[in-house]
Amino acid sequence: MAGAPIAKVVSRTGSARPAPPANPLIRRILILLAVAFLTIFIVVPLVNVFVQALSKGVEGYVAVFHPPEAPEGATLTILQKRHFGEGAAQATRTWNSIGMTLSVAAVVLPLNILFGLAAAWATTKFHFRGRTLLTSLIDLPFSVSPVVAGLVFVLLLGRNGIFGDWATHLTWPDVFSLHWIGFANGPWPFAFGRSFTGVIFTPLAIVLASIFVTFPFVARSLTPLMESLGSDEEMAALSLGASGWRTFFKITLPNVKWALLYGVILCAARAFGEFGAVSVVSGHIDANDTMPLRIEKLWNEYNNQAAFTVASVLALLAVVTLVAKTLIDWKTQGNERTSEGVSDA
Amino acid sequence: MTIEIRNISKSYGPSLVLRNVDLKINSGELVALLGPSGSGKTTLLRVIAGMEQADAGSGPVLFDGVDVSGVDLGKRRIGFVFQHYALFKHMSVFENIAFGLRAKPRRERPDEAHIQEKVHSLLDLIQLRNLAHRFPSQLSGGQRQRVALARALAVEPRVLLLDEPFGALDATVRRELRRWLRRLHDTIHVTTIFVTHDQEEALEVSDRVAVMNAGRIEQLASPQEVYEKPANAFVFKFLGNYNLFHGRSGGGSFVRPHDIKIFRNAESAGPDAQPGMVTHIGFGGPVVKVELESDDKTHVDVELPAQAFHDLNLRRGEKVWFALRGQHEFPLDYSI
Repeated sequence: MAGAPIAKVVSRTGSARPAPPANPLIRRILILLAVAFLTIFIVVPLVNVFVQALSKGVEGYVAVFHPPEAPEGATLTILQKRHFGEGAAQATRTWNSIGMTLSVAAVVLPLNILFGLAAAWATTKFHFRGRTLLTSLIDLPFSVSPVVAGLVFVLLLGRNGIFGDWATHLTWPDVFSLHWIGFANGPWPFAFGRSFTGVIFTPLAIVLASIFVTFPFVARSLTPLMESLGSDEEMAALSLGASGWRTFFKITLPNVKWALLYGVILCAARAFGEFGAVSVVSGHIDANDTMPLRIEKLWNEYNNQAAFTVASVLALLAVVTLVAKTLIDWKTQGNERTSEGVSDA
Repeated sequence: MTIEIRNISKSYGPSLVLRNVDLKINSGELVALLGPSGSGKTTLLRVIAGMEQADAGSGPVLFDGVDVSGVDLGKRRIGFVFQHYALFKHMSVFENIAFGLRAKPRRERPDEAHIQEKVHSLLDLIQLRNLAHRFPSQLSGGQRQRVALARALAVEPRVLLLDEPFGALDATVRRELRRWLRRLHDTIHVTTIFVTHDQEEALEVSDRVAVMNAGRIEQLASPQEVYEKPANAFVFKFLGNYNLFHGRSGGGSFVRPHDIKIFRNAESAGPDAQPGMVTHIGFGGPVVKVELESDDKTHVDVELPAQAFHDLNLRRGEKVWFALRGQHEFPLDYSI
């Protein structure tokens, strides 16, 4: 909160909390059931991830990312050379998958923020024909299997797809190969060093599939809030002569920032963890692996400890998002409590 | 500034909310748009503000004779006050009021010292100087609405438009605030239109009242005139309680409950008085509500000043005489 700290001026007299059920036994059974369910399906598997990841000790855990190097000046057998070489190659692939996951998220999140804001804005502040249809279309990715979503992209953009001719010849630059070339060739001093051809089986397809499976999150977390806020504050700002942009950045965005962040966190969690859709469009090419795909490959190579180690990183990301989500819940509830206002004395 | 609208219609899908409305408001006037919910009064206000676009084929909206129907909301220089205040929740009272000044294009924007001065003078005007750094959530409803008014006034609007400004407040604050609004208007003389469904509020505060019904303005006149010379049955009915007596010609004779006098005996009542029986007595502070039943079983509501009631010393079931004083005759084709 910017500005002066908000004192909590409201004393809630009639607490709205419902009375507990009369029978304490029922209450205890219900709590026990919930705790048992959570333990079996969430706590135990999560603990298992870390137990397996650490099954070769902390050294084994670290070795997945930084494999031991051959001792300086030692003479090695061919088998030993292969062992060290293999370890280094695996670690490189693992690091690549982490990089891929983070860069896909870095592209997907801003696009979904823009899309989510636009969609929530359109469906809450305007009334038009087909509004309900649009609202349900936004929810579509929740009801479509991710594998099907991936296949849809293959069928659209793949070699025999509807846009296949265009898509397979599309050449697009690798953003990470952008580098400084100086002003010798004109006023624009940057150039791309590498480019990709085609869409399916390239990182672009992974981005597209990730956008598809994650786009409802931001829109869904904004819509109910924006609906309840109405457009009076925006109208007030406009009537005072503020421009559309100023109204958006000074009024709308501050009002929805927590809901937006909440949506972004859910969106990020899903983008990090998506497997099905990404798996279909990645073509099982090592260079296209995201973390979940990398985990599957390690598992299939019977490298269980390494698979669980990468999984533990993903689980840690999940824990971070969970904490962030809880903080936001707590924060927004606090805001609600202070914004109830005082009655006319 | 004068406001004139000509032949404005507005529909939402199949429902017609405004039907060929004409309205002319003089400079510095305080006009109330009064009507039941769904009569189109808020829509009319929003069309004048520029928040809604009138239907194609409608006439112009003229501010001082200049057509503004194509001008953006932000460029019309109006001050708009919402029923639920629409204060910016995350800004202090000071920043709320300063918003319009800070939003001005760089060339017209006053410097910080002028903004401070302007906002503080407005805070004095609304008597909230010591609450400048509070947030809207820390204010009472009445205080919030005063801040909303100051925020609208900060940009020196040519016209002030208020949409049910006291609708969300409780009765005492409402009465206090509407008197304050009247005094404020007498000080700053900005042309003001306010929407209300409360007859008492409209009659007490405004210079003229536009009574609206089903998308039309039924009557535009001074509070006294709409009350004493209502244009039709709707206006009469909407402005207060009434008794309806069916006349011989098929028309209706409308009488306010306080325009009926009760007598103990026929001699003092006069030749036009009718007999009736007291069926109920309700005490309401300064007025006492007496219900009568005439000989032809017509139910008649009467309101007596408490003193008159005491002097008559009425009891339930007693036989009395009643005489009608002010009667209004209207054809009976209107319904509320």
